[in-house]
Order: sequence, then C-alpha cells, then structure tokens
Amino acid sequence: MYDFDWSSIPGALPFLWKGMKISLEITIQAVVFGIVWGTLLAMMRLSSVKPLSWFAAGYVNLFRAIPLVMVLLWFFLIVPKFIEQLFGLPPGTDLRLTSAMIGFALFESAYYSEIIRAGIQSVPKGQVAAASALGMTYAQSMRLVVLPQAFRNMVPLLLTQAIILFQDTSLVYVSALADFFGAAYKVGDRDGRLVEMLLFAGAVYFVVCYSASQIVKRLQKKYHPA
Amino acid sequence: MIQISNVSKHYGAFQVLTDCTTSVSKGEVIVVCGPSGSGKSTLIKCVNGLEPFQSGEIVVNGISVGDPKTNLSKLRSHVGMVFQNFELFPHMSITENLAIAQVKVLNRGKDEAIDKGLKLLERVGLKAHAHKFPGQLSGGQQQRVAIARALAMDPICMLFDEPTSALDPEMVNEVLDVMTELAKEGMTMMCVTHEMGFAKRVANRVIFMDQGRIVEDDSKEAFFANPRSERAQQFLAKILHH
Repeated sequence: MYDFDWSSIPGALPFLWKGMKISLEITIQAVVFGIVWGTLLAMMRLSSVKPLSWFAAGYVNLFRAIPLVMVLLWFFLIVPKFIEQLFGLPPGTDLRLTSAMIGFALFESAYYSEIIRAGIQSVPKGQVAAASALGMTYAQSMRLVVLPQAFRNMVPLLLTQAIILFQDTSLVYVSALADFFGAAYKVGDRDGRLVEMLLFAGAVYFVVCYSASQIVKRLQKKYHPA
Repeated sequence: MIQISNVSKHYGAFQVLTDCTTSVSKGEVIVVCGPSGSGKSTLIKCVNGLEPFQSGEIVVNGISVGDPKTNLSKLRSHVGMVFQNFELFPHMSITENLAIAQVKVLNRGKDEAIDKGLKLLERVGLKAHAHKFPGQLSGGQQQRVAIARALAMDPICMLFDEPTSALDPEMVNEVLDVMTELAKEGMTMMCVTHEMGFAKRVANRVIFMDQGRIVEDDSKEAFFANPRSERAQQFLAKILHH
C-alpha cells in the first residue's frame, strides 16, 4: 500500500499560488484576445469579400487541425528570437510567458471565431435589414444590432470554452513555465512526493472548473429558461 | 418622388422581376398586391436598395438607387421602412429602439432623439410602454412602435412590406389605423398588403403584380370596379369573396 504524505503541500502553497496566477493570467488574456480576434475572424469569414473569407477559413482550419501542444512548442522555439530582434532585447531574456500567451491567443481565436460565427448567424437576417433600412452602415449594424444579440446568445459557450482553455494552460509545461500544474510538478519532484502533489493539483483543477461550469449553467438558465 | 423604370431582377436563372415600371408622386398612397411569389416584396425592397437589381433604374427623390456611387445608407436614412416581422431590436428598450438611429445616423442629441421618439410613441398610442422591451409587447403594438421608429427619422416617404401579415386578426386594425392617419397627413406611401379594405379606403392607386410583372397599375376605383386582366379578376374574386 502506498504511504501518502501530504506534509509538503502547506509549505508549497505560496509557490503554487504564484503558478495559479500564471495559469489565470494566460487564460484571461487568451480569452480576451481570442474573443476580439475571433470576432474579427468571424466577420471576415462571413464577409462577401472573398479573400477575407478565404483567409479566415484558412486560419481557422489550420489551427483547428494541429495539436495545441505543438503550437505552444513551436511558439516557444520561434517567438522569443523574433521578439528579441524586434525590440532589441538581449539574447536569453525570459520570454516563455509571452510566447505561451501569443500561442494560446492565436490558437484559441480559431475556436472562438467558430463560436462567434454561429452566434452572428443566429441573429435573424431581418435585423440587419431593419438596421440598414434605418440608414445604419454595415459597421454600425454589426456593432449596435447584431453583435450585442449574438454575444447574448453565446455567453454560455464562450465561458465553457474559457474553462477548457484554463485546463489547457497546463500544457505550457512543455516550455518549463511554472504555471499551476508546472509548479505542482516541480514541488512534487523536489520533495519526492509527485503522486500527492498531482492528486492535489487535480483536485484544485476539478474544484475550479466544476464551480465555473455550475455558474455557466446558472447563467444559461437565467438567459435561456427554455 | 419614386420613379421605377424597367426594373428587372433575377436570382441565377430565376426571374423575380421583369421590366417593372411605375412611379409614386409626392403625397400619393400606393397599394401593391398580388399572389405570393409575385415579386411585390422584392420590388419594394429594391426601392431603398435592400435588394439589388440587375437592370433598369429606380430614382428616389432625385437620387438613383442602383448607381454604385450613391450613398445608400444616407438615402435609406430618410426612406422609412416597416417590415412584416416588425424587426424591433430585442436587446433595446422601446425608447432606445426609437432613439438609436436618430443618434447614430442623423447625429441628433440623445435628449432630442428621446423626446422625438416619445412624441411619436404617444401618437401611436403607446407612450405608457416606453420603458418596456419589444418582447413584452403584442405584435400589433410592436408594429406600431416600428412605424414610430421609422417616422422618427423624418422620412420623405414610407415603404410598408406586408405590415399586417404576421399579426393576429384582432391586431390588424390598430396598425391599419396608424397607417390611415399617416396617409391622411399626406405621407407618401408604398404599401405591400393584402388588406383590400385599406386599399379601398386609403389608396390612390393599386398596383397588381403577378410572376414578377406589374400587370395592373390603376386608380383604385378602376382597379376594384373593373380590373382589366383576368389574373387580377381571379385574385380579387378569391380575396374579396370569403
């Protein structure tokens, strides 16, 4: 029988909290960037200007067809050198967090753009006609009429995607970045208590994600009681 | 006010409008009727450029709708349109629905726009509902708000696309009453509708369409007393005798 020893957890909490902050930081910026860039991609995809629509379709299909962990590794290898040159930083500056964030943001926008595209298409065409008939430009009808309704319909899906994204941040371990999972792994490895630390980390992920999904469910009931 | 000359439109091989020509003078009320699929809604949507057309010309108040150089948004901002399904913006209160385009399109001040909106709301008898959302109103009430929303833009003419077709029968009259009032005040109106009672009372002229063509374009007296085409006779017989 395995002899559990949880004693290394209390002392490691500050370090784990630091890791959690990195995980949350990556999640939040990827959600924000993903929604903004994803909205633009979705509008391009639905645009009647063919090259825009092709570009957006290509982007979305590319990122949805390759594994996230590969994208992260790829950005970890390429982006730091690129940023160093662009901003004239000394070689060896720690840009792991930056490249992870860029990788996540670009990857997640592909998924967000599909959610947002469905949201835009869920708004009846007559709404656009009514906005146009009142003299609104395309941009105004999008901003004032279509997108507000689309986002209202999409809130649960966007949040669900954010929860998945939060779990996926654990993949930054490939760049040896101490996010929550990475921090737990490091502490467990150091103290020879890997099993306990990973069980603990799993429990924390479960509590965070499960509570978040319960909140989403409640929101869903509030906005779509059917 | 509105000149429609030799307008044709097709979706691929399907001809929706064929060589339609008519005109609407200032202060005139025109009723467009015809069987479903005859192209009447498409024709009225061509007038403010919501539907593009391939040949012919439509001139509204001296501005050509089909000309690619025309600023369609600007033209539409003073051509009012009322839709079959009301198309109020469900995420805005009635007041916001009435004010938004005035503020964003005509650059009116917010207070001025709300003021104007509320005055028009009073005119259609719904002032008490200003704070509500469209979903809380009946169909007839929503359509009256939609008319007020279009009027808030100070339109030079109004287009109605089957404004009562989606309404329960008991709500049809409240909308027709508002339209009748409007006609009496001298508004130029082009109405796609099956309400022949409204046409008889209010219209100056009736246009009858069939299979994308304008088959009859006559004064209402001549149209109802003695329609020339067989197709219009059949249509009237069906719609009036039940």
